[in-house]
Amino acid sequence: MSEDFRPDDVLAAEYVLGLLEGEDLLAARAREASDEKFAAEVARWQDQLAPLLDTIDARTPREEVWKRIRDEFDTLGDSAEIISLNARLRGWKMAAGTAAAAAVAAISVLVLSPSQAPSPPPTAEPQAPLAASIPIADTQLRLAVTYLPERQELLVSASGLTADGVHDHELWLVPRSEDMPLLSLGVVAPGEERRISLDQAVAEQMADGSPLLLTREPLGGKPPGVDAGPVVAEGRMQTI
Amino acid sequence: MMPSGSDARDRLEAAMARLAGGDRSALEEIYRSTSAKLFGICLRILKDEKEAEDALQDVYISLWRKADRYDAERASPISWLATFARNRAVDRLRVGKVRQGSVPAEHAAPIADEAPLAENLLIDAERDARIHHCLDRLDEKPRSAIRSAFFEGRTYAQIAEADGIPLGTMKSWVRRGLQKLKACLERGE
Repeated sequence: MSEDFRPDDVLAAEYVLGLLEGEDLLAARAREASDEKFAAEVARWQDQLAPLLDTIDARTPREEVWKRIRDEFDTLGDSAEIISLNARLRGWKMAAGTAAAAAVAAISVLVLSPSQAPSPPPTAEPQAPLAASIPIADTQLRLAVTYLPERQELLVSASGLTADGVHDHELWLVPRSEDMPLLSLGVVAPGEERRISLDQAVAEQMADGSPLLLTREPLGGKPPGVDAGPVVAEGRMQTI
Repeated sequence: MMPSGSDARDRLEAAMARLAGGDRSALEEIYRSTSAKLFGICLRILKDEKEAEDALQDVYISLWRKADRYDAERASPISWLATFARNRAVDRLRVGKVRQGSVPAEHAAPIADEAPLAENLLIDAERDARIHHCLDRLDEKPRSAIRSAFFEGRTYAQIAEADGIPLGTMKSWVRRGLQKLKACLERGE
């Protein structure tokens, strides 16, 4: 927590200018991803400051730079998949009234960096991705969780969170059957986006409307043989 | 809207839309009409040819995945791209990919060249007066700090250290300056 307070419009300007670093910067990034009003302040400052860039002299880069770009570009996959997912997330954001920017960032990471894990067997028809944006109690922060059924991959983005050095937070899926225990989705890594390949058993329980819980645990996550710690946040996966 | 620039702007907008739709050939068109401006920006912030070239490559490669975020109703394509490039360059400073501050800014300013005519026409003349006017009305200290952050990518801590001023003092000058700046910008709207 920063020791100094200032109005959001000033904070947004500090963020846009690049004056912030460390925790202040992470917190501002998380706000931008989770708080539409703050994101609008940020966008307004970007627009207003942009004309300053017109004062910078243009300079033609060496032709070799374009060749490098073209060569790298040729190795990249098609953007169509990402674009359509981004569009879906935007629709979801409007429908849900929550900011999905973090989830959008997360989904790009999912699609653009295929994991080492072997691909799951192809399903008969493509399933819609799921996403959840989980507000963290008493803060402006949100945990962005995105799930791609076809890959059985979950991406958990905790880019605005910072570790307190005493606790870890563990994410849980509440299974459809009441007889089943909570399924751990792993410890959330503060400040990181973490990709998780789900086991078949866990993947089968992941569905539209599935509740997610975040609990406070000792460092390293819930020790075996004891109950999970207190629930500090919850959310639901939604089709996007 | 500058009549002479509107064709160039329309063409660039159309190319952005094609790229967002997955048309790979649009990238070269966008590059040809914007790279000199964006390279100038990267060079100004990173102050090193090699770093600026790497940043420029990163900008156009990322554009492939981000072109669909561009909203033509909100900003002109060139100012969106310029902001995008500036932010990517500043991000590079933050993640420590770049050794910073070895050359004083005034010695490292890029040497202008003859930018393509179409590119000059893309500049949004109708928008640039207000922010300059408002910045000029600030006291020298906050103005110089704000410019240093914007053009050199410097943080509070770096600016305070360079000026030999306590961090807290620098922050309060700048925050007061930003409030005045906002008030001035709003009066012009």
